[in-house]
Amino acid sequence: MGMAERKTERKTIKREGPVIDSIPIIYKHRIPISKTVKYWDGLKEGKIYAVRCKSCGAVYYPPQADCPYCGSSDIEWFELPKEGVLETFTRIYARPQGYEDFEPYIIAIAKVGDVRVMGWLVNVKDERCVKVGDEVTLSTAYIEKHNKYIITFQLKNKQC
Amino acid sequence: MFRKVGIIGVGQSVFGVRGDVTIQELAWEAVKEALEDAGLTQRDIEISIVGSAGTRTYELYPAVPVNEYSGFSEKGPIRVEAACATGSAALAVAYNMVASGFVDVALAIGVEKMNEVDTATSLAVGGRGGNYLWEYHFYGTTFPGYYALYATAHMAKFGTTEEQLALVRVKNQKYAAKNPKAQFQFEVTVDDVLKSRPVAWPLKLYDCSAITDGAAAAVIASEDAIKNLHIDTPVWIEAIGYASDTANITKREDYVGLKATRLAAQMAYKKSHIEPKDVEVAEVHDCFTIAEIMAYEDLGFVEKGKGGKFIEEGQSDIGGKVAVNLSGGLLGKGHPLGATGLAMIYELVKQLREERERGRQAPLKKYIALAHNIGGTGHYGYVTILRR
Repeated sequence: MGMAERKTERKTIKREGPVIDSIPIIYKHRIPISKTVKYWDGLKEGKIYAVRCKSCGAVYYPPQADCPYCGSSDIEWFELPKEGVLETFTRIYARPQGYEDFEPYIIAIAKVGDVRVMGWLVNVKDERCVKVGDEVTLSTAYIEKHNKYIITFQLKNKQC
Repeated sequence: MFRKVGIIGVGQSVFGVRGDVTIQELAWEAVKEALEDAGLTQRDIEISIVGSAGTRTYELYPAVPVNEYSGFSEKGPIRVEAACATGSAALAVAYNMVASGFVDVALAIGVEKMNEVDTATSLAVGGRGGNYLWEYHFYGTTFPGYYALYATAHMAKFGTTEEQLALVRVKNQKYAAKNPKAQFQFEVTVDDVLKSRPVAWPLKLYDCSAITDGAAAAVIASEDAIKNLHIDTPVWIEAIGYASDTANITKREDYVGLKATRLAAQMAYKKSHIEPKDVEVAEVHDCFTIAEIMAYEDLGFVEKGKGGKFIEEGQSDIGGKVAVNLSGGLLGKGHPLGATGLAMIYELVKQLREERERGRQAPLKKYIALAHNIGGTGHYGYVTILRR
């Protein structure tokens, strides 16, 4: 069976008709960071901070200023280690609005100390050679397009 | 004490790209069919619950226009949202209102228009389906990306293969090809799936459900109302289980299953005194192929880690242990967020009444069905057990 012949068999529901354009709406939100400013400043210095509740010892990453378990807002900031182990990852080929200009990027989750951290796994050509359980080192990087710092992972003992 | 509640009418629009209708016109297609199926008019309905995620349409408050267009202006609506489980949340609210005696007859409507914006915008909306600040903002997560994180971990831990994932799509397309309301009415091969373009590795285009417009609705009533209305084919809601999990994906216990599914299923099985082995036909949340494999495990159809084998052995097909997604599933039928949960109910009510087309009617002895609907990446879980 030829491709063209097969294509015609692929019945898909796609009903179009006349349309008009809506009045566009643009959202650009202002996000309060007063309670987590230590984290945002830390990224600029290459440091990744988590918080611990001084009252009950609960650890939060991503950081939060209030402990819902004991009700305390008395927290301390501490720096996470710079090494971790990959728990899972994916390479994003179909990129969303705001990320179209980036090459397909790898989002990974690593176990770092007692918490899990999301970041971009960088300097990897072939994601198929990356394995769950691979050791990574953590650093931060500036992304000019979004004027932000992000966490990056690099494979510690191998090249992919 | 809760009252017994039955489903007495169901409706579903044709799913797909529906650039021919507005959200309220689309909802009406399902509502009209549900009312006719029940043999009722708007006058018989006491309250309507409208479920719509509503994140991609120009109508930011969709419940009221939907309600007015369908002729229920004085009756509700209560608008609910639970991401991709919105339809099940609408059913749960309607069920509780009838079971508690608040009303005797209620209508649950689920509707979504997803194709009024372009794909990049749609990905940006879906990618916010976790915790925007700590995920999308930094890393540009996408919805396929979230499930891909689960696929990678499941494959690494249990040896689940891309071919096994592909078999889910192959099975579901076999039935979608026979479903006149499905978005994609054709069959595919394992090779078609494996060769489709990568979306979020290891997930490829055919591992992913599409961007779909659609609506579904269900009329539900108390046992007394069902007698008074002389309805002879009610399908009883035996139980609805519900659960949730962390917004931040980094806070999950693991990436090889959905806790929200396990907890919701436990609740539904316990309330209904039904066990996984009793379920004969199921609609499970296959937004991605990996999601169906994890659902087999988390719903207790097979032990954790054996989901890949389960599909390979045909255990989730007609003739296997449980017939799964004979509608074509979210993969084949389409996944209009707000409508999906109620479209599962639509399919299962038709299955339990043995009204399905040749080749996709499940053989039934116990007449027990299960709907499994997930919101987000396991952020919400609903498991509904039905019996005729």
